[in-house]
Amino acid sequence: MEINITTHDGATVLALTGRVDTTTATELELAINQQIELGNRKILINFSGVTYISSGGLRVLLATAKKLRKEGDRYALCCLSAEVHKVLKLAGFTSIFTIYPDEGEALARW
Amino acid sequence: MREKHLPVGKELLTPLVWQPVPGARGAECYPIIRKIDTVSSNSYLLRTPDALLLIDPGGLAEQADHLVSVIEECRKDRYLPLVIFLTHAHVDHFLSLCQSSALTDPTKSTIAIHEIGAIALEEGDRNVTQAAILGAEIGDIGIGLRLLSREGAATPGIPVTLTFPNGASITTIRDMISTASGAPTQRERITFGTGEGFEIYHTPGHSPDSICLRFGRMLFIGDMLFAANPGVAGLCGWSQESLVDSIDTLTPLITGNEIDLVCPGHGRVIPVETARTMINAIRRDAVALHGIEELNPERSQTTAVFAEECLSHVSELFTIMAGRLYYVSYVIEELGEADMAEQLGTLIKSDTVDAMLDEFTAFSEEFRSGKQQPIHLALKAAQVIAKIERSFDGAALGRIIDPSLISRASRLIADYTTTLRGFSPPTEYSEQNISSILESLVISHTVPACSDDDFLSSADDNDAFVQILLSRIGTPPLLKDVEVTFECPDPTLVAPIDHDRFCDLVTEMLEDLVGTGAGNIRITAQRSGSAVVVTLSGTGCIKSLDSHYSGFLRRACHAAGGSFTYDYAGTTSRFVITLDPV
Repeated sequence: MEINITTHDGATVLALTGRVDTTTATELELAINQQIELGNRKILINFSGVTYISSGGLRVLLATAKKLRKEGDRYALCCLSAEVHKVLKLAGFTSIFTIYPDEGEALARW
Repeated sequence: MREKHLPVGKELLTPLVWQPVPGARGAECYPIIRKIDTVSSNSYLLRTPDALLLIDPGGLAEQADHLVSVIEECRKDRYLPLVIFLTHAHVDHFLSLCQSSALTDPTKSTIAIHEIGAIALEEGDRNVTQAAILGAEIGDIGIGLRLLSREGAATPGIPVTLTFPNGASITTIRDMISTASGAPTQRERITFGTGEGFEIYHTPGHSPDSICLRFGRMLFIGDMLFAANPGVAGLCGWSQESLVDSIDTLTPLITGNEIDLVCPGHGRVIPVETARTMINAIRRDAVALHGIEELNPERSQTTAVFAEECLSHVSELFTIMAGRLYYVSYVIEELGEADMAEQLGTLIKSDTVDAMLDEFTAFSEEFRSGKQQPIHLALKAAQVIAKIERSFDGAALGRIIDPSLISRASRLIADYTTTLRGFSPPTEYSEQNISSILESLVISHTVPACSDDDFLSSADDNDAFVQILLSRIGTPPLLKDVEVTFECPDPTLVAPIDHDRFCDLVTEMLEDLVGTGAGNIRITAQRSGSAVVVTLSGTGCIKSLDSHYSGFLRRACHAAGGSFTYDYAGTTSRFVITLDPV
């Protein structure tokens, strides 16, 4: 899995490509934690290049939600494929996360 | 060849070391014990004062090279002729011979195999040898000694001495023994000079030429311990009837007091006490395998396709189940119940399941790039499934998250295992009122599993309250946030279906619509000509249905009693199920 990190007006976008499996879920967690440690507390994860997420990946998303709950923090997902959307929806995660259809809409709302 | 049949524990023979053979004075054994796979068998090299005896050289060139170096070391001081015994003519037991001229040079070694296996090797039979199903190329192998031949059966009790170009001199004698069923069977005893010799038993079933060899207090049993396993039973040449008879042939030997160690063709050497239990279980399994399909390259290919579809969907279901549990845990933690939240995490070993699924995905990629054969993928799926099944507590989980997720995963896994074994998954068709089934399904997916009244009345009982709370968080109604319309003009609409499979199928499709974002779902059921057509369409969806999911649904729909089509236009996903006419 590739993680491409960009910043837009104070928001950090992690664009993922590939599978979020056992190994890459750990890489994703590391990348997110590094951004939070750098003080970047507006995190948008772009899933446009992802068709598979493991339970390990779900755990990372949930752990991030727990870390970004302070006043002013922002955390959202965007560009979900049908496969990833289905897993998140049926697991109940869509009631925890904000999900946007695309990156532009997410950043515009922040 | 699944490892679950094999006991764990201390090695009874140390691999790659010469050690005494129990019950055979002056004889030593050098075992090569491999991890179980379909590529190569174990090898057992025996050294007596008069000969070197090799049981199964295996399927790999490097295994043969290793054996050749050990044999050359043995011959440093004094030449010893080598006799190679094949427990049966399957490529994983003999293919290394085709890659090692040092083992097949008739001036140095003699190859011995049951007469039926000798014919298969001489004719280059790709089916009996399993070369076709395992994608192997076999070359010429010269057979020096045909074991338990028809010719020899004509002279029971009369010793015959044979000499071979490699200097081996053997004496063979045939006699009759009684089996557990009382039926007599032939045995061949072979001695090499003055030392200990082999007793050889014809034990067909796994293959028509399978033999077991007793040497001292060791019994070399070939692949009999795996013969009733899924993906092994049904191979070309496999015979249920012969397998049961062969187990009866071996039973007196194994239950008597003549054997200490049972040496299988794959995996660890086992004590005879364990073998007794195993052989009884294998006989029970074998008896239940009446009427299975042959596991030929075609069935192997279709099973591999099913394996990919099955694991792809099992992967989705388990990720949803694990995610749902994380969600419950998250909400419970928010409610200040951190201990309970932590406890929930023990109901699925999600790291193990993820690792297994990743392993299968990697294997599947190797299969697609031509590095693995269909049968390997089918067996890998069975191995992964067995580990996944041990990684969750279905009963406890079903009290918290939607039990339908668990039952559907279990049914899919059972269907795959049944198919791999050579049977068709069980179906039960009967005429059912489609209208009332759909109506009930919509209601069950709209109201909470535990009613508000149940929730309120549990308030006095802490355990009951916690259970209902977890269930209400973990099992929200699937159609809770969706506007559903149901239209069925004919409330007496009847079609022959498998009720449970049909309900699972409709639930799958509803989940797909909801999961991909449907805000409105319309369900219709009507007669079209002589068929009943059920349509489920959702608006606001992302396009779904990859090839594995499509294949899974096609198979599930067929088992339920119909066929389906899928189309996507705008943001509308539509599944159309056509049920066969009454």
